[in-house]
Amino acid sequence: MGSAVRSALIRLCEFLLTALLVSFFTFSAFAIIPGDTARVMLGPDATEEQVEALREELGLNAPLAERYFDWLKNACRGDFGKSLSFGNPVGELISSRLPVTLGMSLIALIFVVAISFPMAAVCSRNPGSIKDKSLSTAGHILFAIPPFALSMMLILFFSKVLHIFTAGRYTPPSDNFGAYLASLILPSLCIALPKIAMTFKFLRASMIEFSQGDFVRTAKSHGLSDLRIMLKHIIPNSAVSSITVISLVLSDIMGGSLIVEQVFNLPGLGRLLLAAISRRDFPLLSGIVFYLAMMTVILYFLADVISAVIDPRIRDGRAS
Amino acid sequence: MTSYNASRRYLYTGGIMLAIVVGFFLLGLFWTPYGINETDSASKLLAPCAEHIFGTDNLGRDVFSRCLVAARYTLLVSFAGVLFALAIGTVAGLIAGYNGGIVDKIVMIFSNGIMCFPGILLALVAVAVFGPSLYNVIWALGLVFAPTFARVYRSSTMELLGRDYILQAKVMGVHPIRIMLVHILPNLMSQVLPAVIIGLANMTLFESGMSYLGLGVQPPAASYGKMLSDAQSYMVAAPWLIFFPTLMLVFYILGLYFISEWVRTSVKGGSR
Repeated sequence: MGSAVRSALIRLCEFLLTALLVSFFTFSAFAIIPGDTARVMLGPDATEEQVEALREELGLNAPLAERYFDWLKNACRGDFGKSLSFGNPVGELISSRLPVTLGMSLIALIFVVAISFPMAAVCSRNPGSIKDKSLSTAGHILFAIPPFALSMMLILFFSKVLHIFTAGRYTPPSDNFGAYLASLILPSLCIALPKIAMTFKFLRASMIEFSQGDFVRTAKSHGLSDLRIMLKHIIPNSAVSSITVISLVLSDIMGGSLIVEQVFNLPGLGRLLLAAISRRDFPLLSGIVFYLAMMTVILYFLADVISAVIDPRIRDGRAS
Repeated sequence: MTSYNASRRYLYTGGIMLAIVVGFFLLGLFWTPYGINETDSASKLLAPCAEHIFGTDNLGRDVFSRCLVAARYTLLVSFAGVLFALAIGTVAGLIAGYNGGIVDKIVMIFSNGIMCFPGILLALVAVAVFGPSLYNVIWALGLVFAPTFARVYRSSTMELLGRDYILQAKVMGVHPIRIMLVHILPNLMSQVLPAVIIGLANMTLFESGMSYLGLGVQPPAASYGKMLSDAQSYMVAAPWLIFFPTLMLVFYILGLYFISEWVRTSVKGGSR
């Protein structure tokens, strides 16, 4: 048990260090802005008094280290200051946009899991067959279409040809939960399709490997049906080994939603981020960036913990 | 020998796709039928025809000419970005892999830190801070991709360290830098090459996404991402405006994937 405790402690330390580093990256990205931050934010037309007032408000006159720790302390409490262009607290703005981005990410994740597992199971049963080859090629093609181009094509197809979807219409979940889900399904699918290809590729390889394992041969010799072997032995093993990949995919999904929201005109974090960039609203921008990066850090840590809990080899630090 | 044929098929399909994009790039260097920003109010949103084989956009600009010229930015950003990422990744990965221990831990924590910014987020921040320009996009994306290469170099360097010839070089007192450059680096090509090809493809996906958002390659230069975002309002009336730029991007990215698939399968001796 000693090795398990030790490797858990190492994991926790690495998590905290990464989180600290990510916060430092976020902070310093906005601290190293060439020229005077306040001047850059206000533009060339601002008077010297306005610039000085903003500098005071942002605390730019304090030493860098002090500013960093102040910022970190507040950020940990969810306080990123006030947005300059919207006037609202940054935390409030972020949480008002979460239903779109998180909802989309979650639906996309469901798509990824629900489609890539059966696809991989079908392909791994007969590697090299026509079915396997055509699905693998389809995966390659999906992976190669930029998500925003894919979104446009699907909008064209579903809303203009089939007339079953209206792009740009969004209903908040508090108004009508069904309509909210309906407005997020197509965008989620657009984010999910390339990730399905990625997850599928990994799962296919891992399932082929597991299906050649000794435990599968034993199960076969006991007369278990192929379907039962697949469901009870191969898929659960692949699922454990895919936890890390899924956490990577989920982070990619959040990154991908930033662009796809723009195509579908959905009021999510991505739109807020772009508004912050174009208005040079650095408090808002750093808040969103910190939030998204922290979600990813926590996600990777959770994936690590879950695989350690399930798999004793990882728990004791025997495999990496 | 089916796998041999399959691997050949990857080479041919990928090669043809890449040849089309490179052909567009080369042709665009010397000749375009119309100026890329030459507007013509008499021929707006024309469907593909003899004078405009890819049609025209909402300002009457010739899509074919723009596709020819946009190829150079796609190639430039992907190659320059990957080179930048490779430069950082090689140094960091070799040092981390060769030294191990605390040096390795520091490099890995840094690379993990960068990888925790999902997708194009870090590149968007860089562009927000330093302003959108071709060069900012290149180094920002290069930075985002550097950890990937550092990881490949690190793990392959670690695998080589136990080999006799490396041990002997160490015993003979060869300088570590010489060991890294002369004995390790050339032996990592087979692991690094697929990573580079995939990197080029992923870089293009990211670059086109940023250009779509208006934060990548800036007008008056033409880029596929920007062409697609301009086309979005007209996509019902003029679907060719999204078809051709998408096709170019897909040819380039898919071509690279197929070539990397060919490299992978032929290096492994034709195994699946």
